[in-house]
Amino acid sequence: MASNGDRSSTDWLRYITSLPGVPGHEEATARELMKAFRTVADRVERDRMGSVYAWIEGTGRAPRPRALLAAHMDKIGFLVRAIEPGGFLRLTEVGGFDSRTLPGKEVSVHSRPPMAAVFGTRPPHLQKHGEAERTIPLEDLYLDTGRPEAEVRRRVPIGTMVTLRQPPVELLGDRLAAPGMDDRAGVVVMIRTLDLLRSKRPAWDVVAVATVEEEFGVVCLGARTAAENLTPDLGIAIDVSHGDMLGAREGDTVPLGSGPALSIGGNIHPLILEDLKRSARTLSMPFRVEPCPTGSGTDAMDIQIASSGVPTAVIGIPCRYMHTGVETVEPRDVDRCAHLLAHYLSELSLEWRAVEVLK
Amino acid sequence: MSPGTSHLDSLLPALSEAYGPPGRETGIRAAIKRAVRGLGAAREDALGNVHLHIPGKGARLLLTAHMDAPGVIVTRVDSSGLARLSILGPMSAADWIGAVVSLNGRGGGGSRAEGGGRSPREGGDAPRGVVGWDRPKDMKDSREVEPEALYLDTGLGAKQAPKRIAVGTVGAILDRAEKLGDLWCGGNLDNRAGCAVLVAALRGARGLRNDLHVVFSAQSDLGARGAATSAFGIDPDVAVVLDVAFVGESRGGDIALGKGPCLGLKEEGFLPHPAALDLAKRAAKGARVPHQWLIRESGGSDARAVRATRSGVPTALVAIPARKTGGPRVLVNANDLEQTVKLVRQIVTTPYTGEKGSR
Amino acid sequence: MSRNGAPVFQERLLETISNAPGVSGGEEAVRAILAEYARDKVDSLEVDPMGSLVARIEPAPRRARSARGTGARGNGAARKGPHVMLCAHMDEVGLMVTAVEKEGRLRFRRVGGIDPRILPGQVFRIGIEGTHAVVGALPPHLVPRTERDKVTAADDLYLDVGARSQEEAEERVPVGSYAVFDTTYEAWGTTRKGKAFDDRVGCAVLASLIQRRPPVPVTAVWTVQEEVGLRGAAAAARRVQPDLAIVLEGTASGESPGAPPDEQYPYMGRGPALTVQDRSLMVHARLLGAIEDTAKRHRVLTQWKRPGVGGTDAGRIAISGSGVPSAVVSVVCRYIHAPAAYLDVRDAQRAVTLIWHTLETLRKEWP
Repeated sequence: MASNGDRSSTDWLRYITSLPGVPGHEEATARELMKAFRTVADRVERDRMGSVYAWIEGTGRAPRPRALLAAHMDKIGFLVRAIEPGGFLRLTEVGGFDSRTLPGKEVSVHSRPPMAAVFGTRPPHLQKHGEAERTIPLEDLYLDTGRPEAEVRRRVPIGTMVTLRQPPVELLGDRLAAPGMDDRAGVVVMIRTLDLLRSKRPAWDVVAVATVEEEFGVVCLGARTAAENLTPDLGIAIDVSHGDMLGAREGDTVPLGSGPALSIGGNIHPLILEDLKRSARTLSMPFRVEPCPTGSGTDAMDIQIASSGVPTAVIGIPCRYMHTGVETVEPRDVDRCAHLLAHYLSELSLEWRAVEVLK
Repeated sequence: MSPGTSHLDSLLPALSEAYGPPGRETGIRAAIKRAVRGLGAAREDALGNVHLHIPGKGARLLLTAHMDAPGVIVTRVDSSGLARLSILGPMSAADWIGAVVSLNGRGGGGSRAEGGGRSPREGGDAPRGVVGWDRPKDMKDSREVEPEALYLDTGLGAKQAPKRIAVGTVGAILDRAEKLGDLWCGGNLDNRAGCAVLVAALRGARGLRNDLHVVFSAQSDLGARGAATSAFGIDPDVAVVLDVAFVGESRGGDIALGKGPCLGLKEEGFLPHPAALDLAKRAAKGARVPHQWLIRESGGSDARAVRATRSGVPTALVAIPARKTGGPRVLVNANDLEQTVKLVRQIVTTPYTGEKGSR
Repeated sequence: MSRNGAPVFQERLLETISNAPGVSGGEEAVRAILAEYARDKVDSLEVDPMGSLVARIEPAPRRARSARGTGARGNGAARKGPHVMLCAHMDEVGLMVTAVEKEGRLRFRRVGGIDPRILPGQVFRIGIEGTHAVVGALPPHLVPRTERDKVTAADDLYLDVGARSQEEAEERVPVGSYAVFDTTYEAWGTTRKGKAFDDRVGCAVLASLIQRRPPVPVTAVWTVQEEVGLRGAAAAARRVQPDLAIVLEGTASGESPGAPPDEQYPYMGRGPALTVQDRSLMVHARLLGAIEDTAKRHRVLTQWKRPGVGGTDAGRIAISGSGVPSAVVSVVCRYIHAPAAYLDVRDAQRAVTLIWHTLETLRKEWP
């Protein structure tokens, strides 16, 4: 992999993770992503629910089969649910946080224009005995904007989106930490994949979908509705996988820098997995097999059961500290995922189908 | 007195007492069909939803309110002749204590085509009973009631009860809503209040700006089931769900009775689509209806199922604030109902400006 | 017990598929056996994108009676009847190997609901080859008294295949392999013992029903991944688009020594259990009525399944598309989701007889 490619992935990651966009509030982010996709796709559009579609037209004769790629554009965050005397904000989450990771953190309140705020904390000097041993649930946390109550009430409607405010941090070994790697790293993989496919066109049509609302609720809304809309012949979700961390169980993580994590389990069509492994070996690319006994927990869960069923697979980018402000990935892994996907897609034969007719 | 109010004065008691537990909505279905006579042709579908199409130009708008109300199902009749129960729907076991319940056959008795018998108020002879519970010997202040401790005492006695009450018999709260000052009080107001508001709104609506589909849905309390299938069949451009939300479910900036209908910003599995929420907001402004914001961490409406149908449906939630009493009856504010009627009337006469589905 | 002309329950098939491995997500072996069985009995056979086996069978052609009767009923013989989806799930609960440790021990996760208390000391078969593995447990001598009444979490257990190194274990049992209970089918009296009766008995009942052309057009679907969220049925129902659906299950008996008699239903040996309501659906009233009436007319012993418990593929099928009237008929089994389940083989025949005659009833009377 040329160092140019690594630089480029890092730049993409810095930019794409900086966009806001929590579940249900992806509008502004979607517009920016459309601009980004226009630099690599033949055609870009948005569907009714807000997901962005970026198309690469295949070379095969029409009607061509269609491959759907999915990475979710929403990142976890909060909505303002109340304003209290003093101008303090109370929040409800959209997406799953461990509230223990929040005290003291800086956030952006996305009023127009946005304002900064911090999760308020009490210094140890003033704490009661034993207070530091108790965790604070989100409903008891509050935001301090440092502004007068009247101004806050005027500028911040109930329901305003709030995101973690943490600029990307470069660690040793090119590693990058930022909020929103989940799943903006996946979106970057899709951008890079389409870029590669432009020069090595697949026979199939490929549509990369930046989906809405994966992080909220029981249904991955964007993935489900896009799959129903597009009726793809194949679907691949690109999401982050848990990277190696102290205290995590063996079998639950994939080391940073060990390449794409290819999921195995009921959510994964075995033939797609075999072909992905074959592509990786052809590219002399390291990869890991990630066990998903009860499902992948990604957009692929809802793509697979959309309409009358879609064969699916999942490609994972190793990522430490998911759902915090310091989600950490190696850009090299992002690059590898893109190369693997591009190779797999460009090798897909026009005849490949998942429905096996026995009689 | 506005036409809406006088309609409600007769509609709400009639709809509130109709028999209609989840999955066996026989009585309420008949009552609704009677109530909407003259507004359009009412059809019934495979899950028991009542669907009314009022044709018009403009976007295809789905307005839906669930007609089922919480119920109980008999799991066995014990040696004392008491019917043991499993709960259908979100009402807690404690709230069932003291309820007068009307039982119907599993599927026999009365009109077979309807799949059930008729309650005493409909001229049937189904047994009735009152819900009691096995009080633990040492009662502390907390009323932690297990469903297994509930029973239905029909007064039939140990010999007759097992003969007259079969396993699988379904029961509903037998109660006729009544006005108490500013409030309406009754069991089943969740969501017969929504149904009554919907009927009253339709009766007075003039100048439709949308192609209107109205669905009184079944099996909402079993997981938004009827709403999902009816939305599938209709495939609307936009949907508004009308339901009831309880004070205390909403966190901070809590909703209150008497402050007007709530517009849903977040509930379990649902975030409103910006274009649908915009329709509701514009209608509230146009009708000058005071409204509140609903954010609830647990509890949800049909909205989560409707929005995930097919290629997705931009959906908004309008919820009538209600208050529990700790028993089977709940309270709503009469003026809130009237304001909600005004809001719904304005919604159907406001053109939807969001993207329409391609058909 | 009279079959009244209904097909014979195929017990041999039950034995074969009960012994075969098929954890949710890895149902290939069971599917292959059923495909082989069904191939020459059905009109079309395919595997859908999720791996469910879908077979269509046109009904037996009927000769129209002479036009003596008046009105609609006179045409009863020529009516094709509703398109019925009959469904059973191929998958069973089991384990997935998630990591191979340095010393050759295997870490695993459960697939589907398994009580962790049955795991210590249990033998499993891993993969198609059936490599044996044991879930180790410390001997009592070495366990402090204070620990003896604590349940070991499944996450803290491991599988031992006897490997001496990570490489040796990985070669035989790669990450992602599935493990099933090491149980072998046996018979005595009318009792049958085996693993995965939930829902291999349903699969066998379904297979028995398609031995010959049924009274109505039938699509038989053996689904995947029921135990991890009713997933195969969701997609299959949209593919099939039936008028009606009946799901065939193996369900838990309520029998429990010491519990009051009225709490112990349904019972093994007292006939198929009919569902009124469970956590996944409220059974369509009229369809349930048709099944009940058929049972009475043909004197098939039936009982009720306990309301409010469990969930099945019918829950998904009922809300697919614009909705499908659905019902569930189950063979009652003891000890489902455990290594060795029991059933009464007469109940399996009763289920076949009941469904067969119900199809006849539906042909004449539905809608």
